Amino acid sequence: MRLLLAVWAAKLSAVLGQLLGKKSSSTPGSIALRICPDIIRKLKSKIKNEVIVVCGTNGKTTTNNLLATALEKGGANVVCNRLGANMLSGVATSFALGCNWFGRLRADYACLEVDEAYTAKVFKHIKPDIVVVTNLFRDQLDRYGEMDALMDIMKKAFETADHPTLILNGDDPVSSGFGRDYKGEVRYFGISEKVLDEQESAQDGKFCSNCGAEQKYNYRHYSQLGDYYCPSCGNKRPKIDFEASCVDLTDGIGFLVNGEKIHLNYKGFYNIYNVLATFAGIKTIGKDTKSFADSLALYKPQIGRMQQFDLGKPFILNLAKNPAGFNQAIQTVAQDTRKKDVIIAVNDMPSDGTDVSWLWDVDFEKIADSSLNRLIVSGMRRYDLALRFKYSGVRVDVITEDMKSFLDSCSLSDAEVCYVLVNYTMLFSTENILKELEAEKEKNKNV
Amino acid sequence: MSDYKINILHIYPDLLNLYGDKGNIECLRKRLEWRGIDATVSSCTMENPKIDFQDADIILLGGGLDRELSIVLDRLKEKAEELKSFVESGGTMLAICGGYQILGKQCFIGENRTEGLGILDIVTVKNADNHRFIGDAVIECDGIPKLVVGFENHSEKTNIGKYTPFGKVIKGFGNDGTSGFEGVLYKNLIGTYLHGPLLPKNPKVCDKILENALKNKYPDFKELAPLEDGVEELANEYMLKRMQ
Repeated sequence: MRLLLAVWAAKLSAVLGQLLGKKSSSTPGSIALRICPDIIRKLKSKIKNEVIVVCGTNGKTTTNNLLATALEKGGANVVCNRLGANMLSGVATSFALGCNWFGRLRADYACLEVDEAYTAKVFKHIKPDIVVVTNLFRDQLDRYGEMDALMDIMKKAFETADHPTLILNGDDPVSSGFGRDYKGEVRYFGISEKVLDEQESAQDGKFCSNCGAEQKYNYRHYSQLGDYYCPSCGNKRPKIDFEASCVDLTDGIGFLVNGEKIHLNYKGFYNIYNVLATFAGIKTIGKDTKSFADSLALYKPQIGRMQQFDLGKPFILNLAKNPAGFNQAIQTVAQDTRKKDVIIAVNDMPSDGTDVSWLWDVDFEKIADSSLNRLIVSGMRRYDLALRFKYSGVRVDVITEDMKSFLDSCSLSDAEVCYVLVNYTMLFSTENILKELEAEKEKNKNV
Repeated sequence: MSDYKINILHIYPDLLNLYGDKGNIECLRKRLEWRGIDATVSSCTMENPKIDFQDADIILLGGGLDRELSIVLDRLKEKAEELKSFVESGGTMLAICGGYQILGKQCFIGENRTEGLGILDIVTVKNADNHRFIGDAVIECDGIPKLVVGFENHSEKTNIGKYTPFGKVIKGFGNDGTSGFEGVLYKNLIGTYLHGPLLPKNPKVCDKILENALKNKYPDFKELAPLEDGVEELANEYMLKRMQ
């Protein structure tokens, strides 16, 4: 009975939220948890097959949604927290809303994105069969304390869940450390050739996660990801079970994984990892990956993942939350040689992290190449961004609170394309503005 | 060619790079260059660990993760005497967070109490149950006409004994959460928990450091020319407003 009440309350709250135009995907779940604290445990038993959890610093929303899309394409019903609300309440939301009005859940799989710092908490409610760790980069030190503390939380979580099968990024010396002496099964994915020339400075993974000695690389993709080895204790990149080769970045992203050809229409080298992790997930479940390549074509990137808008010219919105994410976004922007406007906006709400000192660890100056037309900074921390550029000798054209008028003005500038890089709490408002502007332009076109 | 030249030495930026210390270095460098004063930045790293204190005018020692910090502490111990005489003879130094802690007689790295460099007679201990002092902070510093803003993140307390603190806590925890003081000031050395990074949003602190270094090296040096600090002030004021 409590369960039914909780499902109803969650559903009503979701409908209300929609009417109010809110996109919060954690409120319905937190209401449901208040009414029925063990709602997740109760509904978990209705999942016919595997429960898969995706965690890690960057790429978890994309990976989790790719996986859910691929399973759905194969005809399965999937419980999934698609919007990326990834703490306990977000997981509860996806279960409660997955039920019908009779409180019944019919699902074959659950694909759940879980914030890595909340794994221990969430796993007390639901024990996953498979856990994918995309990577671990330095992120929000004000929330986690230090990286080692975060890894301890995750290790405990894996124990709580009775050692689920781990799918790990073999190129990441930090998170692949989970696989060492692990009591359950482990599989690794990785990119087995040098692709990118330039490297920004790596901040993590400088030392061997096994013995603490300085670690070396045969090649590095970005940040600490690459073919690493420790000259001192012999710890090295593990044998890769799912490996990408023949990578081609000229038109979208193309590569081979275990002999199968993959092509994606969107940008960003890091997306290779997201696809590899998904591929590994499907194979580990024991599903056929033949239709996976087709489902990639259908996949719509979640909001703010190099998301395109048409305002008379392309506007590309990208979410970045930490140095590794921003550096990857900046590299993608720099590869685009069209004349461009770039808007960068950073907020400092609790879910963004209130300490923005990491802005100085991003290679922002690489954005200032010959194709840069105008540079605009916005968000609550616009002055910090302005300082960051001032002290690296890059001219900021506008510092503004008013995203809308400057997005609009960029649609009339000489640039051929406009990139909008934002952090978490800037994302939804910026997407709304871009959608509005897109609709306005469309209407004017038709008049 | 300027009459003045300042050499900035960054100690192990490859290991101690936790809190955007690059921002402090760029701030020091640019605020010299904008005034027509020559500036060089050198660093000692894992690959090139040679340290020349003789040639340095300003030393920056940043904060880092436990493992990195303990490597730096080990390596600096061999140089502790030289560093001490640099500070005693009026050398200018800025030490942040972990870098500040290891200057003392005793400090903690992770869970381990360890002997520090002994440059200052101060002691750092672990907070009970690992409680962390995390958040934005504001302090008032003698001789700095603006409030100083920063971010602190430490689970240790530092007792500075009879030394002068760097500032008085207006908001935040400071050295220990109870004394009401933040950091330490000794001759031309500043030790502080504040990062953010510290200097770009507090240009007056940066200028104070530069002036100390210039006066120490060139006794005839008078004063720094003023700079346009509009954005710096706006960023500083944003922090103050945010914490009201």
